[in-house]
Amino acid sequence: MKRKFSPEAIVLVSLLVLFIIITPRVLSGYSMNVVNIALMFAIVAYGISVMLGMGGQLTFAAVSFMGGGAYFMANMCTDRLGINMPTLPALLLTPVVFAGIAFVIGLLLLKLSGTYFTFSTIALVQVTYAFYNNYKPLFGGADGISGIPTLNLFGYKFTSYNTWFYVLIFLVIIVAVIVELIRDSQLGRSLAAIRDNETAALTMGINVYMTKVIAFTIAGALAAFGGALWCMHGRFVGSDMFNYLNAAQFIIMAMLGGVNNTVGIFVGALLVKVLPEILRSLQSYMQLIWGFFIILLMVFMPTGLAGLYEQIKANIKHKLQKKREGAGQ
Amino acid sequence: MKPILRLDGICKNFGGVVAAKDVTFSVLPGEVHGLIGPNGAGKSTLMNIISGIYTADKGSVFLDEKDITQVPPYTRARMGIGRTFQVPRFLQRSNIRDNLLLGTDLGNQMGYLNSFLRKKGTDFDAELQELLEIAKISFDWSNDISGLPFGKLKLLEIVRSMLGHPRVMLVDEPAAGLNNKEIEYAMDLLHLASKKRGIGVLLIEHSMDMIMDICEDIVVLNFGEVIATGGPEAIASNQLVIEAYLGGEQDD
Amino acid sequence: MDFRLFCTLALNGIAMGVVYAMLAMGLILLIRAVGVMNFAQGDLLMFGAYVTSSLILDFELPLYLMIPVSFICFVVIGLVFMFTIYWPLRKASYPAATIIATMGASIILKELATLIWGALPRSLPPIITDANGKPGILYIGGIPLQWQYVLTIIVGAILIFLIHMLFEKLYVGKMMQAACQDSYAANLMGVPAIATISATYIIVVCLASVGGFMIAPIYMVRNTLGTLQLRAFAGVVIGGFGNIKGAIIGSLIVGLVEVFSTVFLSGYKDVTVFMLIILFLLIRPQGLFGGKIADKA
Repeated sequence: MKRKFSPEAIVLVSLLVLFIIITPRVLSGYSMNVVNIALMFAIVAYGISVMLGMGGQLTFAAVSFMGGGAYFMANMCTDRLGINMPTLPALLLTPVVFAGIAFVIGLLLLKLSGTYFTFSTIALVQVTYAFYNNYKPLFGGADGISGIPTLNLFGYKFTSYNTWFYVLIFLVIIVAVIVELIRDSQLGRSLAAIRDNETAALTMGINVYMTKVIAFTIAGALAAFGGALWCMHGRFVGSDMFNYLNAAQFIIMAMLGGVNNTVGIFVGALLVKVLPEILRSLQSYMQLIWGFFIILLMVFMPTGLAGLYEQIKANIKHKLQKKREGAGQ
Repeated sequence: MKPILRLDGICKNFGGVVAAKDVTFSVLPGEVHGLIGPNGAGKSTLMNIISGIYTADKGSVFLDEKDITQVPPYTRARMGIGRTFQVPRFLQRSNIRDNLLLGTDLGNQMGYLNSFLRKKGTDFDAELQELLEIAKISFDWSNDISGLPFGKLKLLEIVRSMLGHPRVMLVDEPAAGLNNKEIEYAMDLLHLASKKRGIGVLLIEHSMDMIMDICEDIVVLNFGEVIATGGPEAIASNQLVIEAYLGGEQDD
Repeated sequence: MDFRLFCTLALNGIAMGVVYAMLAMGLILLIRAVGVMNFAQGDLLMFGAYVTSSLILDFELPLYLMIPVSFICFVVIGLVFMFTIYWPLRKASYPAATIIATMGASIILKELATLIWGALPRSLPPIITDANGKPGILYIGGIPLQWQYVLTIIVGAILIFLIHMLFEKLYVGKMMQAACQDSYAANLMGVPAIATISATYIIVVCLASVGGFMIAPIYMVRNTLGTLQLRAFAGVVIGGFGNIKGAIIGSLIVGLVEVFSTVFLSGYKDVTVFMLIILFLLIRPQGLFGGKIADKA
């Protein structure tokens, strides 16, 4: 079967192109910074999408790996440990290193299943946060690490948020395409099988344990990559970003847009970062509204905005069909 | 002919309840082998032991004369033990195509990386088309699987299992919940599997018509024990079997 | 180590352990009753601490009036919580949805507390003070023990014991549990599931809030008290899921490990507590007292 470009895909691509063209022309400085952070968060959230959306495994570990990636980058490029790598190779090295680390941690933690696994990832977040926050030689303690060089791409230094935007949107698109390819490959289907019924998955020749570990590895690598970008973009890394509350925030981000939907994750990340800025005038009520919004969302559309869209589409299709049948009679 | 699947002295207890006691029999390639018995005789337990979801307390399972007793369930599936369930197990949130591709994934065994890189495996569409013509099913690919009626799901599960190119198929009550036409299609599928593809089929079924119609050999279980083996005629006239079934009826 | 210091630390550890146990017990009651992991458990404690301290500081109610009034508040909080976070979601198609909703509730409780009582921590005087208004000290064999810790242990232990009796020993409690697990059977028996689930939520809120009230003089009343729930999670894991006795002992272990490791490792106390969980999960995932994990084949 050849896949044709659906009108839906054309609309999505056009919207994306518009987004890329318009955003850096309208925004600058602080607001551009917010959008950029949303893009980097989207990369991390794509990792959660692979674990939770495809495989049904609720993990909080994203911030642990994001922090790992950020501190790794900071140590590689600031001469703190006498290492002074150029930024590009360090950036490319980060997901590779943390894929390895995530693989080993995944081998251990994924011996557990369901809620046990989720708890172990919460524990992991607490342990890594304690180290990030206290161990000065590697993580700078509560002061964090500053003076991180910005991305240097073959001599071109990305010093403004607006130039960063192009790099980030490019990377987000690449990650989104990879995630979409995974979804449509054997790995994606195997994860879906595990999500629905682990026993049935086993009888279909799926190595449930190893498949989960691979998903965890991918999620870890993506989170570390996002973290490495984040610390270069902000030129600073501090431990606050990597605590339990932010871990929960990432899960909410993924659920909001639609945890098993590639476009949904992107929209979710943008909303979580951008919406509070737009509603700044509400200031102190913002978080409160946010909390209510999350609950309403879970009550009325647990599959997120993407789920809502699918539902509306299905309803329209259904109605059209009825109409056609009515006309045929 | 060498058996494709052989059970040797399988025993299994669940907290004192005997589910299998010294069960020994074998399935030949290209044969449909019936596994019958009253409710609670241990038929499904045996299937779970063969596919590796339960481990037997004692005894061994051989696939093509290779001892697979210690082999994990997913490896057994890859070695060629396919199965279907009493209640079909499909991915509820995926469309029909993805669900069936899981079968082809198992058949291709190309690994996640090759699949990600879009390496070509067997021709999924052609093979599926052939099977669906026998099963007399047609539908829109991209629809959700949850919209299909139960009978079609049961047929599709056999199709999915066959897409995995198994050497042995464990088929659990394919006729339950199907209408007469659909039962016919299911039998056609099993016929194709055994006679044209040489798959050894182990069939659990309550519909005696189907068992008598399609099985070359039958093994009868009661309270986890084999009480009779033989061809359809021999089983139909076996006094022990008749008693077991009558006893079973009274319990109900 | 100095014996007096050891005793003081042990007392602190047990007191904190009791508070974690109150949270952990509530977590398990909810898991059993409705199968939901509550990620707002610690925020219920925080909110309870604010409500009680507000009744004392702002409304200046004496203790004998404060207790019934705050109980009414807890009932209301419990009902609101259950009818917003759980009831509409009980048939959710995405299992993670109910969990995420409790995360939303966690945010709401924290922000409500900040909006109502301000962002600054409030200090609540201990229940027993000496003549100078300093925390009351109990001397046993020359060892000084803070009354607030002792009272926390006593109050917590009594409450835990009573609720344990209710659910494990009394017919009503057993009925409640049965009703929660099988609403069809419960309706046949004439116990509407909604009533028993509401009662469970109210009990859970009471447990958490009383815990909050007891530790308010120790920790001050602040909106970050909610993070204490992570230690209750630890207790639940160590004790084995779904096992109340195990969760209580697990929570006490967490309290003690935390207090003693604070002395030796200050910044890394979380590392010891949570490494302990990871180790436990890997070596004994069924916890100290859990049976074999159910096989869902």
